[in-house]
Formats: sequence, C-alpha cells, structure tokens
Amino acid sequence: MNKKFRIALAGNPNCGKTCIFNALTGARQHVGNYPGVTVESKSGSFQLNDMEIELIDLPGVYSLSSSSPEEAVVFEELTKKDIDLIVNVVDSTILQRSLYLTTQLAELHIPMLLAFNMSDDARKKGLKFDIPKLETYFGSPIVQTVGNTSRGVQSLKEKMIDTLAKLDDHGMPMLSYGADFDDAINAVAEKIDALNIEEYSHIPSRFFAIKLLEKDSSAMKIESMKPVWEEVDVQILHLKNKHAIVADTFMADRRYAMLSGACRNAISFSQEKRREISDQIDKIVTNKFLGFPLFLAIMYATFWFTFICADPLMGYIEDFFGWFGGVVGNIWNPETLPFLRSMVIDGIIAGVGGVIVFLPNILFLFFAIAILEESGYMSRAAFIMDGIMRKFGLQGKSFVPLVFGFGCTVPAIMATRTIESERDRKITIMVLPFMSCGARLPIYALIIPAFFAKQYQAFTMWVIYIIGVLVALIAARIMKSTLFKGDGEVYLMELPPYRMPSFKSLMLHMWDRGRMYLQKAGTIILLTSIVLYICNTYPEKKEFSVDYDKKITEVQKAGGNTAALENAQLSEKLEYTISGRIGKTLEPFFAPIGFDWKITTATIGALAAKEVFVAQMGILYAEGEADEESEGLRQQLVKNYTPLQAFCIMLFCLLSIPCLATLAIIKRELNSWKMAFVEAGALFALAYVATLIVYQLGTVLQIGTKLL
Amino acid sequence: MRKECCCNHCNSAGTSLAELPIGAKATIVGILPKSRGRKKLADVGIVPGTELLIEAHAPFGGLIRVKVMETSMALHKDEAACIMIEKAEGSNE
Repeated sequence: MNKKFRIALAGNPNCGKTCIFNALTGARQHVGNYPGVTVESKSGSFQLNDMEIELIDLPGVYSLSSSSPEEAVVFEELTKKDIDLIVNVVDSTILQRSLYLTTQLAELHIPMLLAFNMSDDARKKGLKFDIPKLETYFGSPIVQTVGNTSRGVQSLKEKMIDTLAKLDDHGMPMLSYGADFDDAINAVAEKIDALNIEEYSHIPSRFFAIKLLEKDSSAMKIESMKPVWEEVDVQILHLKNKHAIVADTFMADRRYAMLSGACRNAISFSQEKRREISDQIDKIVTNKFLGFPLFLAIMYATFWFTFICADPLMGYIEDFFGWFGGVVGNIWNPETLPFLRSMVIDGIIAGVGGVIVFLPNILFLFFAIAILEESGYMSRAAFIMDGIMRKFGLQGKSFVPLVFGFGCTVPAIMATRTIESERDRKITIMVLPFMSCGARLPIYALIIPAFFAKQYQAFTMWVIYIIGVLVALIAARIMKSTLFKGDGEVYLMELPPYRMPSFKSLMLHMWDRGRMYLQKAGTIILLTSIVLYICNTYPEKKEFSVDYDKKITEVQKAGGNTAALENAQLSEKLEYTISGRIGKTLEPFFAPIGFDWKITTATIGALAAKEVFVAQMGILYAEGEADEESEGLRQQLVKNYTPLQAFCIMLFCLLSIPCLATLAIIKRELNSWKMAFVEAGALFALAYVATLIVYQLGTVLQIGTKLL
Repeated sequence: MRKECCCNHCNSAGTSLAELPIGAKATIVGILPKSRGRKKLADVGIVPGTELLIEAHAPFGGLIRVKVMETSMALHKDEAACIMIEKAEGSNE
C-alpha cells in the first residue's frame, strides 16, 4: 500500500509557483473551483518513490490575511487539518518581500519546505544566502530551485522525500515580534488555549492570536473565538498607547522589521544587475508615446497568429469529419434504423465536427495569450490601458478578460476573477458578451466572403469587432454611473520582470483551455445538435404541392439537371418541420430587422451556441453538412439576401447572448439566475433595436441593398 | 497640484507619493489613516520606513508605477495621494 500525502504549494503571485507545479505534476492536473467563491482551484498528483502525492496549487497571495477572495481561500485551505506539508515557493531574487508570507506560514506550524526559486537569477544578481541560518530561523528546510526547467525541480523532489520521511520532528520557527508585541500575542494565545477549540487544535493558538491582533477578517469570522475579542482589544489599545502607534497595520510593520533583521544577517550581495534588461524593455514598452501603438501592434499580431496560422489546420479537421461521416454512412446499412443513422451522420457528426473545427483557433489564441501572460506583458498592457478603461468605468485588469472575450466568452468570464473589485468585476462580466467571441467567427467567415469584395473583407470584419468593443465600453460607462455608483476598491498590481515563458507551461495552458472548449462541444453542443436535428426533420412532409419525385424522374430521363427541383423539395420539407414552423410564426416579429423565416430559425438555433447558426443555415438551404467554407451555401445566401441583410445578421449575432454556456457561467459567477436572465434579456433587446435601426436606415438610404 | 482624494486628510502638511516626478526616490513616513486598503498596501511592503522609487506614470494617466522592495507595483493616484513620503536627498527631479 502506497503512502499518500497532501502537499500545498503556496507563494506570492509571479514567484514561479505554477512552473514548479507543472514541472512536478505534468498533465495530471485537475482544474476546478472553490465552492462559493470565484477562485480557481488547481490540484495535481505525482509519484515520489513509493509515495502518492496530491499537490494543491494554492492561488498566489502576498499575505495570509483576507484582503481578497484568494487570500481567504488560502487561509481556509491551510487551516484545514489535511495538509501534510506546505511547500512555500519563494522568489529568491526578492527575498525580503517574499518571506513576508513565509513568516505567516511558519506560524501555522505545519511542516514546511522552502523552495528558493529562481536561484540562478539570484546568483547572477550576486545574492548569497546563509542557508543554515535561514533554516533555523524559519524552522524549515530550504532547497534552491530553478522552476522553469524540470531539471531544476529535481533537487526539490529529493528534499521533499527527505522532509516527508521526518514530518514529525520539524523545527520550531524563531519568529519574534519584539518584547511587548510577543507579550500581547501570548496573552491572547493563552485565552484561545483556554477555549479548547477542537477544530483548530492542530494549529498553534499563537497563529490565531497574531491574526486577531491584526483584526484579520478571516480570523474574525471564526465564531468560536469570539470570547477572546475583548482581550484582543485590550492588548491592541495597550500596544498603541505604549508605542504611540496610529496605524492598524502595526503587525505588518513589525513583521517587516523582523524580516529585515533576519535578512541582514543571512543575505549578502555584491551587485544589482538582473532587472536592468527588464527595466530597459519597459522604457520602450510602457513609454508614454510608444506604449499604446506597440500594444495595438501586439494585439494585432495575436489575432493574425490566431486566425491566419490556424486556418490550414481547420481545413484538415473539416476534411476529417467529412471523411468520417462518409465512412460511417458506408458501414451503416441505410435500411437498419434509418432514423438513427441519419441523426448520427447528419446531426451528431456534422454538428460536433462544426464545433471542433474551431479548436485550432481556440488553441492558437490561448497559446498567444499564455505567452503574453507568462512573459509579463499582460500586466504592462493593463498598466497602459488603465487610464482609458477607467474612463469607461472599468480598470486595467478588466482589460485582460476582455481580450479573452475575443476567444470565448466562457473562459473570459472566468478570467475576471483576477479583478479584486467586486463592482469592476460585475461590470466586466456584464459587458463581456459584446466582445466578439470565436464562436461568432464562423458566421462572419461564412457571410463576409460571400457578400463583400475581397478588398473590403478585412475591413468589414474589423468594423464588426470594433462595434462590439465600442458597445461594451459605452455599456460599461452607463452601468458605472447608474447601477454601480460609488467608490471602487483599492487598485494594486504587480509588474513582474519579463521572463521567457517555458514551453511546457504554454502547452499546458493551451491544453487546459482547449479541454474546456471541448467539454462544451461534447455536452451542450452535442445535445443541441440532436435537438436541432429533430426539430429540423420532424414532422416529415409526405405530400407536396408538386409531385417532385415524378418530375425529377422525368428530368432525369431527359438528361437534365435535377438540383433545382431537389432543393425546392427540401425547402418545402423544412417549412413543414418544427423549426420551420417556429421560424414562420416568428417571422413577422423579425421581418423589421431584415430576417426571413430561415434566418429566424437559424438564430433561434444559435441561442444554444452561435456556431450552430452556420450549420443551421446549411440545413435550411439543404446544403448538407455546411461550414463557413461552404461555397454552395454562400451562393445560396447571395441569391437570397442583400449585403445589408447579411450585415444585420452579423450585427444581431454580435450583440445577442453568445450561447447558453455563457448564460450558465454568468449565473455561476454572479451567483444569481436573475442577473443572468436580465443580462440575456437586455442583450436581446439591444441586439433587436440596434439591428432594427441599421436595417431600416439602410433600406431607406439604399445602402447595401445591392451587391458591391 | 493636489487632486481630490479618498480621505479628508490629504491636505495636511507633507508631500504625498502622487506629487513626485519620475525617477524620484523617497521614504514612506506614514499612510493617512483613512486611506482605504491600508492593509493591502502593507502586505506588499508599503509601510513607513520603506524606500520607494517612482518608475513611471501610465500613458493615459491614473496609475503610478513605483518600485517597492525590488518589485514594481502599479497603484492609483488616489491611493498614492494618501501615502506620505519624505524625499531622499540628491534624487533627481
């Protein structure tokens, strides 16, 4: 029987923790969510000799207090009983600040291992550490690591084996806050001891005493400790009087003082060198004049990479599904279960194929975003954009999720979790659906080449994206001054030095997002494909206005072309189905915005997921398994619609809710069905009104009523 | 020029971080009691006694980038206005 251990990985943001996590666990990861809060949870497992290790990657925090949901999560995870070992990853190039968290972790008196990460950089910078001295000080073994190579974590693994073998005799930290402060801590700790709280018996009362003296909200939430509050207030008052303290952050001050004492003795360094390159880059990148154009160029490059480079791959995927459908069709005898056969081939395979076609786009976009994030550029982008975003009621950090929004609204809404301010976060979530997501792309990709001359295609696409962005910004501005008035939260953001992203991390990040997308494809879209297939097929029409079968046979005998007749028959069939009936019923409502019953039907299908629109149009125009590259469908569209109508389709799809998954995720993140439905309703109303105005104006002014 | 701040104390004597030019070095002498997010600032090392270097102002205003404890932090002008500093001698204007 293998021994099992739970190890928690803790550290500051940007300390290289995720690199170490990836190096240790590889692809054996599980990404989830902490219940009730919007913080992402990440865990993975790996084998260490004969031990089975479960590694929990805690969110990066500066402190073990509760200034943010992340910190509250870390506090809760670590005060649970089931952590066997904490591995505290420390950026050894900025030791003094990184150890601030370490002191608090040491006070928990859970066995701890310190990983002095980026030790190569520290060496280059000329830093030397007195490791034995620091080990005694924190009562924890220390290992030097280089997180971005798997070779660099070998020493960490060896030290883990060592530490896990002697968990019971880990050292005591020698942390002293100074005479009077320690007295106060002890006084409170004694009172806590007297309460005998079973739940926290494994953690020294000293830890809670310190937290209570800091008036930490996580500690203050512990009901069973309320009886000692009185003592806490007495001690705080006493300390404040004696030391003439005005600040309520005096414990933080003491902690820094304590650390600078410890570091003075244990760290020596020769010269400052490392950050120079990073600072030089920043002189250009965040320059007052160059910063913004450079940012726009980088965004452009990202999109170019996503859409142009992924294109050939999409072709292969398409071919594969076409081939696969054919193979299944050949194997499956048309006489056995014909209903199921056609549902599998035309409904499921075609439907899912139409979704997986986007996988290259999604993967490439997230690869690019991962490079931007891991290199450190994202925070520069937030720094540059903050001034502009703030004018619209958002902030620099809102910017990153909004960029994600171009990929897929669902992960983008999840990415808003980096925004600490509740209000900014809500606004960002609410306007995110306007950022034109990847699922809308096939609609544009189908329509634009069909209706617009080559030299206008890129421009039209750009216009659509810009409309989305402008609507998002204006909506944010309006919400800020109506629904969400008042002060936001304090803004604080680290700009880490530039680093070369590791290939492994990039691949893992990409895979993570890709998997998320495929899950969506596998569940919701599979289901809607089936439902839509049924709606598009039944009830079946047996009697037609004309005897098509007879006519077709006649034409065939004469050697003529039967395509037109077959299409006419199919569209009669479709009109008769559930979809057709719904579309027909709603047609009068959608006529003012330029939609006929076919577009209406497709739009209803697209409620489930925007990418379904294209497949739906394909079925309605009897072009079979259509995708955005389908020439046949394009010709049908050009025959039936004007460029103005085409533009209206795109506009409507841009402004209405992207998919049901978005609705579900908004519900989860805002924790309210009401908000989710209000959002969906508002988006629909806006989409309808905007399209109405464009269509009516366009018709009156004769813009786009003929092919260019 | 003093901008409106989140607290009533900003017009008291002393210089705030928001008033420093790029390249200036300073030591924090205090953080005005009514500043929101004092704890957050403390957690990243913005406490009395710490040295700061003003690195940059954001292109479209709003944010100030300071180096504190060898890390670059971006914070908003409103918060910076509540961080009282003492300018280090000989730092460039």
